[in-house]
Amino acid sequence: MEETSTTDRQELGRPHLICTYNLENTELMQDEIHFDDILRGYREDPFDYHAVSTPHTGIIRFKVSTGESVEGTTGEWRHIPGTLLYYLERERNVKPISSTTNGIVSEMNNAFDGKFVEAGEKIMTIKHPLKKREIIDSILKKVLYMFEAPERAKYFFSLEIQSRIEKFGQRAVSVKKGDEILTMSLMKRDTPVYYEGEPGIIHSVYFQPGDSIEQGKAMIGICPKEKLPLIEKIITRVRAEWE
Amino acid sequence: MISLSASRVQQIVTAEHGLRTQTFPLDIVRKIYRFGAPVGHSIEMHGEAPRCMDLARQDIINSEQRNNSFHSGKVHIAERLTGGKGRFKRRWHAPEGGIWLVLVLVNTMLNKYARLLPLAAGVACCESVRHFGVPAHIKWVNDVHVEGKKIAGILMETMLGPTTKEEYVLMGIGLNVNNTIFPEEIARSAAGMREYLPENLQLSQVAAVLIAKLAWNFGLLCYQEQTEMSEMPCGGRGVMSPVIQAWTSMSDTIGRRVRYGFNVVSEPQYLADAVGLADSGALIMRLPDGREIIEAGGEIVYLD
Repeated sequence: MEETSTTDRQELGRPHLICTYNLENTELMQDEIHFDDILRGYREDPFDYHAVSTPHTGIIRFKVSTGESVEGTTGEWRHIPGTLLYYLERERNVKPISSTTNGIVSEMNNAFDGKFVEAGEKIMTIKHPLKKREIIDSILKKVLYMFEAPERAKYFFSLEIQSRIEKFGQRAVSVKKGDEILTMSLMKRDTPVYYEGEPGIIHSVYFQPGDSIEQGKAMIGICPKEKLPLIEKIITRVRAEWE
Repeated sequence: MISLSASRVQQIVTAEHGLRTQTFPLDIVRKIYRFGAPVGHSIEMHGEAPRCMDLARQDIINSEQRNNSFHSGKVHIAERLTGGKGRFKRRWHAPEGGIWLVLVLVNTMLNKYARLLPLAAGVACCESVRHFGVPAHIKWVNDVHVEGKKIAGILMETMLGPTTKEEYVLMGIGLNVNNTIFPEEIARSAAGMREYLPENLQLSQVAAVLIAKLAWNFGLLCYQEQTEMSEMPCGGRGVMSPVIQAWTSMSDTIGRRVRYGFNVVSEPQYLADAVGLADSGALIMRLPDGREIIEAGGEIVYLD
């Protein structure tokens, strides 16, 4: 079961963080974070919009309609698929595609029903109600450098990073380009994963070591040391002001 | 004492053409062996060593420092290891009498095929053990056992070349052959091939067979990649990967009640029934609530 989705808040006109991850532009970054605008935007429209796209080519048959409520993946081992969204058939292989998030089907391209579609075709949007934690994460994901899973596998921190986290705490561990940060374990083969982004400290960890992580899912949020106060300010502000 | 050369491996490969033509036409068999030809073209023998993995890593580093391309398919074999390790730092008992080797492959495969390398290695080990008349099976992912006693273990690691950034796959294989005495903690769960045979085996012969089987199964994966890239699925539309087919025929995992965990010894996670293998080699299991779950990593123990 899978769902290819991206968040298309920008397409829907919501005010979002202008700040870009640019080390040479600290002042600009601070100046351009308009907290009031951001929070007002989330208050007016406390939803995330997940665009559902086809993972491969095939003939599509919808199983939901606009306005319908859908559930996401559940279960102790994340093994219970969400609501069946559509079937995608390729070479007589019928694949059921389920929702990975809860919400309301807000947009559907019904013209595709029963037709052949290309891979990556956007076919519907799921309007997902955001919780406070998700709003913080959503903002942080725009501010932090997000390190994503290179492919679907199980991951754990490299031995060195793990021992530094245990010894000094997560936010005292800094990483730079070329550091072996994770080990990817796939089919009993361990592969080192090297960090490729901007240098900084490990601010947020979005995975549990040993869990199966989908390709492209954010795993770690990295923040330059000097930006840490700013990040904390964002979190405090959202926590304090978001009811 | 192990004495082995690439030409000895080649003799085995030639002798096995007949066996392989039971599954593929002769021209395809030759093609598969050509794909697998780099495996064992160079073999370095060692007496006692801490770990073959370390020897192979240093070999790669030395080669890159000399601005040489590392030759894919090189094998390091030691007669005994003093610091043998399995996954999760588990100790691997590797005295004289077994085969302890590392095969280094320069990874040029697409991910879809490279992820099947651990299965291919398991098939090669199981074929080798069966070649000598020992009734072995594969437990997912690639443990080779006889009646629940582990006879061969495989550890695979990826290494990036420090200079070239080339990706190397280090395939470590430990095969208990004539060694039949194990430390107390694993005495009930490990076995040597000798326990199922009337006499000791010649280690050089076992090593040559193992490398020849690795060459075939590596070649088989390359062949699958090449044919699928040419839009000619192996054997026709909807047919299973030949490596997965071979794995399935030698495994006793499907249909078993299992306990699963990423590290199943220290952190078992759940009980399930193994019901199938996905195209990716991932294990499909059915949980007590009837739902299926697919795991592409971790390990299992049999409960029945």
